[in-house]
Amino acid sequence: MAAAVTSRLTAAVCRQFQRVVTVSSYTQPQCATQAFSKFHSCQRRQTYDSWWFRSSTNNRALHTSCVREGLEDFFDLPENWGEQTVKSGAPWTGKQLRVKSNEDLHKLWYVLLKEKNMLLTLEQEAKRQRLPMPSPERLKKVERSMKRLDTVVTEREDSLRLLQTGQERGRPGEWRRNVFGKTFWYRFKEHPIPWYLNSRYKRRRFFEPSHVAPYTRLSLEKYLRSKIRKEKREKRNQKMLAAVFPKKTALA
Amino acid sequence: MRLTALLSMAAKAAFPHDYRYGTNRPWTIAAQRLNPPGKKRRKVFVEPIANEDWHVLRGDTVEILSGKDKGKQGKVAQVFRRRSWVILEGLNTHYRYIGRSGDYRGTYIASEAPLMLKDVTLIDPTDRKPTDIEWRYTEEGERVRVSVRTGRIIPKPVYQRRDGIIPQQWKDGPKDTSPEDTLQKTFTPSLKTLEEEVMEKMNIQEDRRPRKSYWY
Repeated sequence: MAAAVTSRLTAAVCRQFQRVVTVSSYTQPQCATQAFSKFHSCQRRQTYDSWWFRSSTNNRALHTSCVREGLEDFFDLPENWGEQTVKSGAPWTGKQLRVKSNEDLHKLWYVLLKEKNMLLTLEQEAKRQRLPMPSPERLKKVERSMKRLDTVVTEREDSLRLLQTGQERGRPGEWRRNVFGKTFWYRFKEHPIPWYLNSRYKRRRFFEPSHVAPYTRLSLEKYLRSKIRKEKREKRNQKMLAAVFPKKTALA
Repeated sequence: MRLTALLSMAAKAAFPHDYRYGTNRPWTIAAQRLNPPGKKRRKVFVEPIANEDWHVLRGDTVEILSGKDKGKQGKVAQVFRRRSWVILEGLNTHYRYIGRSGDYRGTYIASEAPLMLKDVTLIDPTDRKPTDIEWRYTEEGERVRVSVRTGRIIPKPVYQRRDGIIPQQWKDGPKDTSPEDTLQKTFTPSLKTLEEEVMEKMNIQEDRRPRKSYWY
């Protein structure tokens, strides 16, 4: 009786699991035999595999791989432990990244991410031990490489979008006027309900009240005046520098 | 977005518009001692030279035209374009004590003073005499420095990198990509986004449809 109940429960659980975890034919996972003493959880999962999921409805057994890797990826290679400086190459340039395929870039991103996590762990540990971090320029190189990769990917996305739709921006928006009379680029946000049902959005005022209208002209005049003043100041500066440092027409 | 902008503003060191930049980097204690906040100094006027017209590069051999070490030739160690300064190795030096603490007066060292650009000239490599320089184009189209007097091309100086790496003698580490792999072209232009291509390669089937959302 109890067995039947548990088998039905496990069948329900398995059906849910099947969608999440890839189901493969039952094979003896190597870790169970090798790492019997190390990975206790792995051993338990191995026993589950043998009878827990072998119910009448679900003949295909679930195979989950146990955690073989530890936290080694958060640390540098063992030969670099304790070194004062670690050699590292140049960062990836945009030119080098542009010739790589999307799949390569996708893989490289995660390689760089893991390296960045390792370096950040190292930095934090160095701070904790109150010691200097060995070769902190590695972190800057990794960050720059990731930034350039992001730039290359956005370039590709932008070009595809421009070609297919003609849209310049990935995120929709429009020019709107706020309560203070200033025109600004309002970036749209994603909502689950339309705007006429969103009471908080309806309370936002994207227009200037009538008593603010005279001030828009005044602020525009102020902005134009400051722009002209800046240009005049630049010209005056150049004239003064030309007077102080006259250009030698005849070269000696 | 605005929070990150704020944080970046806080991280970036801000200086007043009339800050006088000296030989010390602005974040060092020596620079803070020379330019405490609130100190106003007379403005220095620098002849505006475009970046392309700048002819003295780091590692060049130049001759001093005026000053204490007039007539001597030396190698350029540092260039300050914003102030038209050039610092040569071991020339135009004054002596000072460094690292004094308590009773110990410190080490007596020679420190170089910067020279103005108009007080130095480049040297013809074959002649070893000072000349005027012009930027001209070679037949191949390369922009080079040419001495006006003799017409010889002055090559760009080879200067060692600050981190001591010589690119010709570099050996890749375990985490470095080899030059062949780096330059290998794997990109084929296609009308698929990165996400679509990666999903294809990893055999990910996305059958879910996104729920209707409103953008405003």
